[in-house]
Amino acid sequence: MGKMEMKHLFWILYVCLFVSVVVEVLIHLSPHFHSHAAFVWQEIPGFSAVYGFVGCILIIVVSKTLGHHWLQKEEDYYEKH
Amino acid sequence: MIEWLHPGFIYIFGALLIPFLKGKWQKAYLLLLPILAFIDLQYMSTGVFWRIPFLDYELVFGRVDKLSLVFAYIFVIASFCMTIYALHVNRSGEHVAAFLYVGSTLGVVFSGDLFTLSIFCEIMAIASMFLIGFRGTKAAYQAGLRYIMVHLLAGACLLGGIIMYVQATGSIAFNVIGLNNFGSYFILTGFLINAAVPPLHAWLADAYPEATITGAVFLTAFTTKSAIYVLIRGFPGVEILIWLGAIMAVYGVIFAVLENDIRRLLAYHIISQVGYMVCGVGIGTMMALDGAAAHAFCHILYKALLFMGAGAIIEVTGRSKFTELGGLYKYMPITFWLYMIGAFSISGFPLFNGFVSKTMIVESAAVVHMPIIWLLLEGASIGTFLHTGLKVPYLAWFSRKEPACEAREPPKNMLVAMGITAFLCTLLGVYPQILYRMLPYPVEYAPYAAGHVIGMSQLLLFTFVGFWLLRGMLHGTPTITLDTDWFYRIGTKKFIWFCQKPLMTFANSVNNGVMKIASSFVWFSRNPTAATNIMVNSVAFVVLRPFNPVYKRYAQNIDELKKTYPGEPVQRVAVGTGVLLTLVFLAFYLTIYLIYA
Repeated sequence: MGKMEMKHLFWILYVCLFVSVVVEVLIHLSPHFHSHAAFVWQEIPGFSAVYGFVGCILIIVVSKTLGHHWLQKEEDYYEKH
Repeated sequence: MIEWLHPGFIYIFGALLIPFLKGKWQKAYLLLLPILAFIDLQYMSTGVFWRIPFLDYELVFGRVDKLSLVFAYIFVIASFCMTIYALHVNRSGEHVAAFLYVGSTLGVVFSGDLFTLSIFCEIMAIASMFLIGFRGTKAAYQAGLRYIMVHLLAGACLLGGIIMYVQATGSIAFNVIGLNNFGSYFILTGFLINAAVPPLHAWLADAYPEATITGAVFLTAFTTKSAIYVLIRGFPGVEILIWLGAIMAVYGVIFAVLENDIRRLLAYHIISQVGYMVCGVGIGTMMALDGAAAHAFCHILYKALLFMGAGAIIEVTGRSKFTELGGLYKYMPITFWLYMIGAFSISGFPLFNGFVSKTMIVESAAVVHMPIIWLLLEGASIGTFLHTGLKVPYLAWFSRKEPACEAREPPKNMLVAMGITAFLCTLLGVYPQILYRMLPYPVEYAPYAAGHVIGMSQLLLFTFVGFWLLRGMLHGTPTITLDTDWFYRIGTKKFIWFCQKPLMTFANSVNNGVMKIASSFVWFSRNPTAATNIMVNSVAFVVLRPFNPVYKRYAQNIDELKKTYPGEPVQRVAVGTGVLLTLVFLAFYLTIYLIYA
């Protein structure tokens, strides 16, 4: 993909990020809105966005730490041991 | 007119003809078999067929209901796509193994009793082992061996469990088993191994990445999903499965971060996705069970597509490690976009099939109000998109300015297979009613409610933001990751070392000790009186040693005695001594007798 295409894709992404949160806020504000939420946090607009971001970083950091200190070994580990 | 024809038998007996056909005829024949099976399914009505009396029991080869049909359909459809993907392979044996594998899986799906079930499970395990072994490398051979060992263990668990279960209940019918008696725990364990539930999962990530390129695509679909079928039918609502499933979903995701091998990463995502299904079975409501069946249906399609994409890269570059890949978009754009459809599907993007099935399970966790399970499953979705949707494409197709190696698009049949599978993934995503109508229980579920769509979109889009910030941390490293297979790969080596070294040393010392005692008895019995004499003199020698002048006499005496030992066989004593000894023994006996009589 060319650089221009990448830039376009990123613009689309920014718009999507923005729209997804705004739409949720608007839905929550609308007078016809009835909450179907099973959990408290589902009432908070933008919860999924925050969870997605934090979850992503947590998964990377936690598993990289686990791997670095414990689970990752050189490729011929099983031949050597 | 035949009342019912087993579609599994079309594959199993059809496979026997494959080696006799060559070239185009063979290819046409390979495609014909799944089509025949599909037509067979079309004309199938629900009911129970092919009951065969066996000893005091009745074997049932054809129990047809909505649950078995939905699994049979997806197995047949998937096998058609996979066969197209494998059409360029000339080795007949590989096709035979694949068809036996598919056929036996259908055997599992339609079996109405536990014996038939266990027999088809065994055939499945053995046939699939060949798909690994045909790769021909040493690593593949060893992985295949470990694979079959684990599955034979699963088979043994299953058969043992079945025997106990039949003893307890008196029936071999395969219906809801539950956890009512001891045998059912063994049956469950057998299928937890087949479903790759941690800590019994390591065989999957160990063996699948070593299989042949086309064989691995077959492997992704059948073993784990047939186990899910059995769990849905036999163990719905077993509570422990909820937790096992949710942990499994996250476990696969965490290990996928560390992987450097493209197919091993995807294999960990099979474990993760099957976790959703196991969790759904555990929740056990109608919606959750439908969700598990639907997710198995969708998963088979998108996971096959992902493995096809990864296989295409390995086919043309011969490389499978992220550290050796990158920048391939220049050469393989079509493969990239087809792969991305699979990636969007597994991540559960709206309009792709993962979305319509995964959200069903997550939603049913919300309906029965299980907040932690809900958070774990949503969290696993983040990881799924992070790896299959972002890390794999980024590291394989981009990440380098110049391509890591020469490449081209894969053979046409591979692209066609990927195209069809990608079409089905999107079709089910856009028009989920096709799938929902096939599900075993009547459930009203609207995947495209605004809340679901917005929630999922936010979750995945912001995952991308996190990924982009930390993408530097995600580069592959030339390492392997230890998993529970460590216990049997290193554990068995350690065990054998233990047997050979400490255990053998101990055994030898015991042996030597016993031999010494035995030989001293032999020595003693050659001439007991002389031996006693030597022993008495030796004791006296030691005791009298401090009183210097006397002990030398004993030393000489012992030397002499030892030299002449055993000497005269018997040392004669006076007759009186013998009589005296006899009298002493008699008196002793009399005393004992008088005391106790």
